[in-house]
Amino acid sequence: MIVIRLNACYNRPPTQHPSVRMMIDPHTAQRVLEAALANGADLAELYLEDRASLNLSLEDSRVEGAVRGADRGAGVRAFYGNTAAYAYTDDLELESLLRAARAAAAAANRGHRQQPVLDLTRSPSALDFPVEKPFEVWPEREKSALLHRIDAAARGYDPRIVQVSASYTEYSHRVWVFNSEGRWAEDERNIVEVSINVTARANSILQQARAGFGGQMGLELFERRDAQAEAREVAESAVKMLNARPAPAGEMMVVMRNGWGGVLFHEACGHALEADFINRGTSIFAGRLGQVVASPLITLLDDATVPARRGSYRFDDDGTPAQQTVLIERGRLTEYMWDLAEARRAGRRSTGNGRRESYRYLPIPRMTNTFIAAGESDPQEIMRSVDKGLYVARLGGGQANVVKGDFVFSVTEGYLIEEGVITAPVRGATLIGNGPKVLAEIDMVGSDLELDRGQGRCGKGQWVPVSVGQPTLRVPRLTVGGTAA
Amino acid sequence: MTPYRPMPRSEQANLDLARDILSRSKAHAQVEVTLIQSETTMVRVNGGEVEQLSQAVSRGLGVRVIEGGRMGYTYTSDLSREGIAEALSGAPALAQSADPDPHRSLPEAEPPMSDDLDILDAGFDAVSIEEKIALSKEMERAALAADPRIVATLRATYSDARTSVALANSQGFAGAYQRTSAAGWIQAIARDQSGQSMGIGLDFSVSPRELDPRKIGEEAGRRAADILGGQPVPTQKGTVVLHPVAGAELLLFLAQAVTAEALQKGRSFLIDREGEPVASAIVGLADDGRRRGGLASAPFDGEGTPTRLTRVVHRGVFQRPLHDHYTARKEGTRSTGNAARESHRNLPSVAPSNFYLEPSELPVERLLEDVARGLYVLQTMNVGGINPATGDYSVGASGLWIENGHPVRPVSGVTIAGHLSDILRNIVAVGSDLRFVPFFGAIGSPTLHIEGLTIAGL
Repeated sequence: MIVIRLNACYNRPPTQHPSVRMMIDPHTAQRVLEAALANGADLAELYLEDRASLNLSLEDSRVEGAVRGADRGAGVRAFYGNTAAYAYTDDLELESLLRAARAAAAAANRGHRQQPVLDLTRSPSALDFPVEKPFEVWPEREKSALLHRIDAAARGYDPRIVQVSASYTEYSHRVWVFNSEGRWAEDERNIVEVSINVTARANSILQQARAGFGGQMGLELFERRDAQAEAREVAESAVKMLNARPAPAGEMMVVMRNGWGGVLFHEACGHALEADFINRGTSIFAGRLGQVVASPLITLLDDATVPARRGSYRFDDDGTPAQQTVLIERGRLTEYMWDLAEARRAGRRSTGNGRRESYRYLPIPRMTNTFIAAGESDPQEIMRSVDKGLYVARLGGGQANVVKGDFVFSVTEGYLIEEGVITAPVRGATLIGNGPKVLAEIDMVGSDLELDRGQGRCGKGQWVPVSVGQPTLRVPRLTVGGTAA
Repeated sequence: MTPYRPMPRSEQANLDLARDILSRSKAHAQVEVTLIQSETTMVRVNGGEVEQLSQAVSRGLGVRVIEGGRMGYTYTSDLSREGIAEALSGAPALAQSADPDPHRSLPEAEPPMSDDLDILDAGFDAVSIEEKIALSKEMERAALAADPRIVATLRATYSDARTSVALANSQGFAGAYQRTSAAGWIQAIARDQSGQSMGIGLDFSVSPRELDPRKIGEEAGRRAADILGGQPVPTQKGTVVLHPVAGAELLLFLAQAVTAEALQKGRSFLIDREGEPVASAIVGLADDGRRRGGLASAPFDGEGTPTRLTRVVHRGVFQRPLHDHYTARKEGTRSTGNAARESHRNLPSVAPSNFYLEPSELPVERLLEDVARGLYVLQTMNVGGINPATGDYSVGASGLWIENGHPVRPVSGVTIAGHLSDILRNIVAVGSDLRFVPFFGAIGSPTLHIEGLTIAGL
């Protein structure tokens, strides 16, 4: 069981501060790469990053603390066949970079003739993720005031709201990648996000709801989304669930609301399409390119080029240009997600899915913005078609196993469907099933594709921002784990 | 291979630097300076070949300022004169954007206790990279040899760290310590005509040489083989036995529910239950920040308070929650030394240290003999279905079906669910096999026999 978790509002104080100019010129990069190639490595790479972040968190109607951070560092990677040696440092003086390069080089001594470093040429990108209203336009006090407005809106929704926590996070992340094949890529990623967590209480029953919103943009986020309306919506979800009855247990028909529900496919199918699991033969999808693996209604995409999305970038953390990858096309498996290391291992081309949490990690194949394409069914009609089932309006965290594709997900907002109509809210439901089996069995796909609201983070030993999405879907049979036997 | 180790390493040098930075602060406020320095190595092996070898040195500074009850925090990995100056001047300015809280302050300095925590391996540096690679390969070999149905392994990983922490504050505290840790983990994959399964093996220690790679590999291999071909069982209410790894996961969330932070903020199902029985009388829960060799042991916590042993639940009665300086002040009590910080990037917050359910003297074999019929859970998949606020507990599970004290067939594809307050009351037996699992900190559990959980399957 791989611990793969996509958490809507995992509230981790992030990282950073106003952009520091990084002193790295191609000449310095070249010297570092040469040092890393000294023992006969096939390929050397220098990765640098500069990240400035701000996080404010509110609880008990009080902004408890304000945190600003600066993270700068560099990592040097040397490839010897399938072995990657890596060393990193947070000191960017030339001497420290060279020391890291020598540590990476020292992982092997082949005594081969040293590879040359090809001319470093800066790669262009046509992609643009503009920031219309830079983070510094608002002083921190205004960001505190935003959290207070969210708090007041959520508490004002219903007297049963007993606790609200909310956080505001922004970061600017700049990365530079140089490698001995002449690659020189630069990227800048600006992310802003708000998370809201509401607790409602009636007698001894406590109910929590959480949600968030954000994107790759500046403070224009708050012109596009009404923070108070979002807060009221989270409050509504918590209050509704107070009256929920215990979820039924057993097999039933399930309808999943469009948007965030895509997290289930991210976990239960997406990870199994990442090339590290494919190369090791441990994924249920290994060796199945070209085969039918899903219902013909299903097309699954991973796309790092979608404007304003959290999972987007110009270049991945190997310096490979971002692209859209069709993973499953009308039920047929068409491609996996590759990073540089796994592509080298298999003699393939990277799909630009190499990502890392920071310079403290090596890149690994990761999803970006992953979603099921729109189908043709009217979402209303999907609902009407269900005689008895479960409507999953909000999914919580989940986990899946890439070997078998088994998954378990918690339903944080769920309702019974009876004769085509949503009836009682239910609590404590979990969905348990098998990703590829669900993909094969889905029998209705809505026309209402929606991506999540911009709060996704995916953990695979390292955390990276992602987006997920799906239209309304009908699954004819899924096991629901509940407490009402 | 020469290790990558370019930084000054003495504890004293780190402490001197922290004091020096503190003395440069111009803030008319309470100021706390934390310096965390670490050296880490990670080796990952696949198919007998080194796949990744990563070495690092890093150092970070955190500055916390509290002025008029307002708290600001800055951190940086840039320890140049300018980087330090920016962090020092930024924190007081940031504090102004936070709201005042009369209970917010830094703790007054308390004299440290001097017992040996056994968290520093003197021989740590003598372990070569080649030995660490050999250890990883041995884990992989052992996993593959554990059962003929093991076909592959994933992520045979060894990692270690030497960490040095120095903390100085304006209230007169100045302290420093070093610790070492090493961990090994691996996933084994079993396959036959019935399908595939995956098992995990893991262990940790203060010293790389105390890790037993064979044991880690065998655990992963056996686990995968044990649950291979598992099928769901019919939905029912019944007996569940949790292996320590599954028990520790449950306790991780329980530990969050007994922090004063969760209780004060209404995020715990145990709110207003202090002094009352909350568990069966055989249950004791403790948090020991000074446990010898503990993964989370340290002489002082994330804000300089000496760590200690806290009996959270004794004979089933909820005695006292875990506190940091802030939550304790709010209630007019003393901190239990549970201010934790993940790294220099984080503000301290209340968290368990070495938290565990006290073992009994009952060997696991005897515990299992007493199970007439039930599910012996070897692995769980948590899905955010454990909630310390509401007390809901629901996880995916795989393991063995027990009849008359004996395993009769593998089970997978089921969830087990209940409410934490019922689970605590329905613990009918506790094993002697306390084991710590390095989740987020160090959580320890013996095997637990619990009645009345819902097992949802077919």
